[in-house]
Amino acid sequence: METGWYPVALAEGLERGTSTGTRLFGRELVVWRDSADTSHVWEDRCPHRGMRLSFGFVRDNHIACLYHGWQYDTSAQCRYIPAHPDLAVPNTIRVATYPSIERLGIVWAYDDLDSDAPQDIGFAERAPVTPVRSLYIDASAAKVFDALVLAECPSLKDAGGATQRSRTDALASLKSGGDEILVAVQPLSDVESALHIVIAGSPDVHSGDSQKRVSAWGEALRREIEGAAGYAGELRHGVAP
Amino acid sequence: MSEITLYDFELDENCYKVRLLLSVLGLSYRKVAVNMVPGREHLAVALMTLNPRGSLPILTNGEFVLSEAEAIMTYLARAYDDGNTWLPAEPKGHGTVAMWLQFASRDLHAAYLARRLAMFDEPGDEVALGLAARRAFRLMEDHMTAREFDRAAWFVGDNPSLADLALFPAIALSRDFGIEHEAYPALRRWMRLLRAIPGFMTMPGISDYY
Repeated sequence: METGWYPVALAEGLERGTSTGTRLFGRELVVWRDSADTSHVWEDRCPHRGMRLSFGFVRDNHIACLYHGWQYDTSAQCRYIPAHPDLAVPNTIRVATYPSIERLGIVWAYDDLDSDAPQDIGFAERAPVTPVRSLYIDASAAKVFDALVLAECPSLKDAGGATQRSRTDALASLKSGGDEILVAVQPLSDVESALHIVIAGSPDVHSGDSQKRVSAWGEALRREIEGAAGYAGELRHGVAP
Repeated sequence: MSEITLYDFELDENCYKVRLLLSVLGLSYRKVAVNMVPGREHLAVALMTLNPRGSLPILTNGEFVLSEAEAIMTYLARAYDDGNTWLPAEPKGHGTVAMWLQFASRDLHAAYLARRLAMFDEPGDEVALGLAARRAFRLMEDHMTAREFDRAAWFVGDNPSLADLALFPAIALSRDFGIEHEAYPALRRWMRLLRAIPGFMTMPGISDYY
């Protein structure tokens, strides 16, 4: 495991006022978006009883734990404890947070809890992008990259010539002529990854057809990777009733 | 007028499918609580006479007796949904809803068994059931992802249908048997919309808050 910036969700898919649980290297995170449209990435753990905050719910600019309703503001500070409504909540009660940023239509987290000065994310914003989907694969991030560095860029609106590939620690680009897709790879655990896929280009151009094509491309890539890993789920057909 | 009666076990997801539909259709009915676990009352003489398959739910309406959640849902929709919104009359929509109802009873049966194993300690291969349940959820996720590209919010057509109601319980309850919603972002968005359907109700294991 290396400290750095990793993708945790597609920005557009994370609706205002919602939360979701996810993982980085097996550690549980909650990703949520407040009513002012800001996204947050925290440790998925209520300091009270250790309940996962992603099981809770977002109300306005607070996220509340499902167990006892403790509410945390956008700075991860506990502000309200329903069992003690008159209590001024001590500042020591707060959730551990990950530095996070939205870039390329993706929410990224720096996997060092409560880090004050994370390193620069290392690549510039590019706008506009067209989000496609998050795709969850039963294979390690290393196996995913093994496949990505051999993959062809799907033909969209302006294909031209052989696929040019480049990558950083958590991001791959596949480019052919004017077509380019960006694939951010989230290591969920040693044996599971998530791909967050966007098209470099405007939704005005790519909504619909291009999204479908890239999504189908992703599903084919998933089959290939899981097939190579001997993925049991593809081999063992559904349990019949 | 004859009275609709539902033989119901509160913790059973198939009974919940029917309660959910009765609720969104705004139908009043009599509920007979059956102690399925641990009482196994569904296998006692009285209910076996009504339904020799020994399954719940069972719905009666006067002399008419019907079992199997998806079949009961199609009956209720035809009988009480005059606008055909929940079960389209149009052939393609009808066929596609029927396909997803089949999916709910067949492909998602693994999820049903996985939950019975986890909650009631019933027999089963935990690993095989978990894999089969995840495979079914993935098919649903891929379908709803594709639907979003067409700016469609429901499994079939422009409105919620029986398909949505029949598919919802297994994924909404998946944490009962250790499958998180992490890998299903499109299904999360769909579940959130589904909760806003007028008449929506929860069951134990499905949070009132979200």
